[in-house]
Amino acid sequence: MSEYEGIVKMLRFFVQMKNFGYVDRIGNALNPEPVEVTLHEALRAFRSVRESAPVDESGRRYVEKDGKKIPVPGIPTEEEIKAFLDDVRSDIGVAKRVATLALAYPSKNESGGDE
Amino acid sequence: MFLSVGVRFEANVEALNMVETAGNYSKHRRVPYLVEEDGRLKTVYVPALSGESLAHAYQEHLVREALGLGLPVCDDCRRDEFYKSMNKVHLKKKVNPIPDDPRDIEIAIVRSCVVEDVGGFLYAEKPPVRRSSAFQVSYALPVKSVALFATSEPQLHARHAQMDSSSKKGNASEQMIYYVETGTALYGFTFNLDLDAIGVSAITSEPILDEDEIKTRREAALRALFRMLSSAQFGAKLSRFFPVGGITEVAVAVTEHPFVVTSPIYDDYIARTERRLKVLEGLGENYLFAVATGEKVPEEALKEAMDYLREQGAF
Repeated sequence: MSEYEGIVKMLRFFVQMKNFGYVDRIGNALNPEPVEVTLHEALRAFRSVRESAPVDESGRRYVEKDGKKIPVPGIPTEEEIKAFLDDVRSDIGVAKRVATLALAYPSKNESGGDE
Repeated sequence: MFLSVGVRFEANVEALNMVETAGNYSKHRRVPYLVEEDGRLKTVYVPALSGESLAHAYQEHLVREALGLGLPVCDDCRRDEFYKSMNKVHLKKKVNPIPDDPRDIEIAIVRSCVVEDVGGFLYAEKPPVRRSSAFQVSYALPVKSVALFATSEPQLHARHAQMDSSSKKGNASEQMIYYVETGTALYGFTFNLDLDAIGVSAITSEPILDEDEIKTRREAALRALFRMLSSAQFGAKLSRFFPVGGITEVAVAVTEHPFVVTSPIYDDYIARTERRLKVLEGLGENYLFAVATGEKVPEEALKEAMDYLREQGAF
């Protein structure tokens, strides 16, 4: 699943923000259409959050939630999104696995941003 | 008596049910919908209004109608904040000290508020007390045959601030653009009202109120529905996105026991409802079926149903 790391990190960011809507919709999708629509909506919201997020002294973007600094990861690449959607079209289980990973703790500390 | 209404309404450029915002973009509620195209089923996302949104509007009308008829409405509901005696803080405003018996709690709530009598409540403390709503409402969804023509499209708007160069700080903008996603569709929804549940305990099935008050509450419940449909006062953003269009069709069935009209998302819903009612008639159940499709206006069909209910002694 490392090929979809960008998508996992973006969904994990929403989970940390207590916005479970996207990860639930992707994880519970029964066919590819809801995954496609949800990913579109998630990317739209993520871009808005990211572009207005402040940058800390180390040059990383973050947002504050309940007094905690949550790093904002980079935007998934076009290639990654395309490969993910193609994979979901042939196997809907891929969407559930990506959503499940987004709900898990990351195996190492993730730094925010792609700077 | 049980009343079931199927409503079709055309709404162009509406923002009746907005969900989250993403930056300067506020989204319309959308739901996956199964439609048939070229003999194959496919999922499409269409604009929709939640049943919660419609139920809230109905209860707002119920507050006004109940007060107009001199019926009790609690302070929270008067402000259109439907907490529904959810915890001790809210229940204590009605009954203090709070009784231990769930039946006494229900009696206290029903006696002091028509909205909680008709719209139900959940007291989530010990002991928990639940009362199901006497009315039911579906999501409003695009009519199946034309669902593929439904649209949800963002419209650009701008807010302006007047400021000269001395008052402008940092990168403050003199105007801000924002997008409101508007829906356009021919919608259908179903509304049911169980008149027999009003003023009656959900725990013991015994009347809580005297007959006269129950009848007046039923009248308030019917008037609220009439007003909600007639005024088109439901949904959000009416101040600048009042839907262009209106109710195109209404089908009202009044039966002795629960019966729900066929959903108006199907084109043949009137004919199918009529056939289903005929079968009921064969089983000895009386009914009234009033339809407003073209010549008749929706208010006439609703009034016909109310007159019938009055004749039957429902209120």
